[in-house]
Amino acid sequence: MIEIKNTEIGFDASLFAIPEMDFDQGKVHVLLGKNGIGKSALLNTLSGLIYPIEGSLSFDGKLLPDYSYKHLAKKIAYVRSNVKGVPFLTVDAFLLLGRYHDKNFIGKHSAEDYALIQKAKDLFGIAHLADKFTNELSSGELHLCAIAKAYVQQTDYILLDEPTSHLDYANKRKVYELLGKMASEYNKGIMISTHDLDLAFKFPFDFYLIESQSKTLKSVKTFKEVEREFI
Amino acid sequence: MNSNRSNTILLLPVGIGIVLLALLGLHIGDIPTNGLDVYNAIFTYSDSNLSELIIREIRLPRVCIALIAGAALSIAGMLMQTLFQNPLAGPYVLGINSGASLMVAIGILSGAGFLSTELGLIGAALIGAFVFGLFILFTASFLRSQIGLLLFGVMLGSFVSAIITILELSSEAESLKAFALWSMGSLNGVTIEQLPVIFLVFILGGVASLFIVNPLNLLVLGEEECRLMGYNVKRLRLMIVFITALFTGLITAFCGPIAFIGLAIPNLTRMLFKTQDHKLLLIANLLFGALFLLSCDILIQLLSAWILIPINALTSLIGAPFVIYILIRKIR
Repeated sequence: MIEIKNTEIGFDASLFAIPEMDFDQGKVHVLLGKNGIGKSALLNTLSGLIYPIEGSLSFDGKLLPDYSYKHLAKKIAYVRSNVKGVPFLTVDAFLLLGRYHDKNFIGKHSAEDYALIQKAKDLFGIAHLADKFTNELSSGELHLCAIAKAYVQQTDYILLDEPTSHLDYANKRKVYELLGKMASEYNKGIMISTHDLDLAFKFPFDFYLIESQSKTLKSVKTFKEVEREFI
Repeated sequence: MNSNRSNTILLLPVGIGIVLLALLGLHIGDIPTNGLDVYNAIFTYSDSNLSELIIREIRLPRVCIALIAGAALSIAGMLMQTLFQNPLAGPYVLGINSGASLMVAIGILSGAGFLSTELGLIGAALIGAFVFGLFILFTASFLRSQIGLLLFGVMLGSFVSAIITILELSSEAESLKAFALWSMGSLNGVTIEQLPVIFLVFILGGVASLFIVNPLNLLVLGEEECRLMGYNVKRLRLMIVFITALFTGLITAFCGPIAFIGLAIPNLTRMLFKTQDHKLLLIANLLFGALFLLSCDILIQLLSAWILIPINALTSLIGAPFVIYILIRKIR
């Protein structure tokens, strides 16, 4: 469980506050809010890339700064909104990098690693891209690969910053379905930010809104409650 | 992945090529020697035989330093390109050479005390390269643009050459000549007594590079991604600068500035092997770099009857057009 208490979130200055909020494993938590309100800032903070402006947060009872980088990489995977392809880096090699935190300095990959990336490729329907170079993929394909890499990382939590913004409608649906499945079947705690309100509300996810008036994060249940924010 | 594996076979002919060219390098020169002399010089050496003496004392160091310098500069270039995620980075364009050059210039031209001794020069070159490496690393932390960083490196180079020009004007004819010769780049200056030290430093850098091949694979995804996968990027960056400075400083001190190898060879190997597996790239750069510089040196010797070409001039003549080709390919 991620526990947040009396925390101010932002990059350099505080963007919004979280009085108190818990995020459980086994669920998909959807973060809503206007552009620039601080969704990415919250995800960056949870990933450990930046520190909260004030207050503290803990994962499974342990404060975030008390985790080592390596331990954090085993606990949390983070898919950034701007995934970039790299010349001469194949999709297979890219996915294998998801096992990096589990390697000693020799870095040899085991049969389980290969089985895992095969499963990830099947799950996300990217098996046909395996030998392609990541810089030659469409941004949608690349994003699917990045989500598959987060799956390969085998963490308790997965954070995704606007995972569906580059995808076509069918792939948006597929990603939401897969995220739901990963949460319920593998008991992962998943948090995403999105602007695809209509689609997201069709799924049994938990929703949170960063309100622009009060500048606080609060839990919301229905589409009605968020509607006002975006009109 | 499978497509990469078939390319590793390319390493074999390169390795064979190196051995053959090395033997050729021992064989050719101003004074004619035959194959038996080469064999004897290597296996049953006696310094009373003039041919064997020449092969052992003059040609062997030259061949060895060509191989080591080519390999070291290529690996340094590969490290710079991965560190800055910039195919046009290299120890020469980024001005790491300039750091070493500046210190060597001060050493030779001032002719002052410890700095002008052999050990002093090497130490000075290493320190110069390392300080400039850190300077570029620091600049890169806020100068995010790829081209901007390259321009910075070029400016650093111009700045240093201005200082060197001033130093040259106020120094004596003797040291001026020594410096001019050094700055053309030469593989002739190394003696067989110096080889063990050079070899040792090269091995040190090589082993250090081997230790970071896995994090380098991760670094191609960017520094934040590295951090997210649990790796301490700061340590890695320092390590890369340290190795690059070690290689560049070492080679610059002994052979003078040698341009473009560190830029062209890493690009060539990435294009040939189509991989970001740095273990393979490390071996490829080592072999291709060694082969390339040795070929250049042998070409120079073959042409020496008609025209004298400094090594730095030849690598630039070949390297610069290749880099322009990469630029055009990249921009299109």
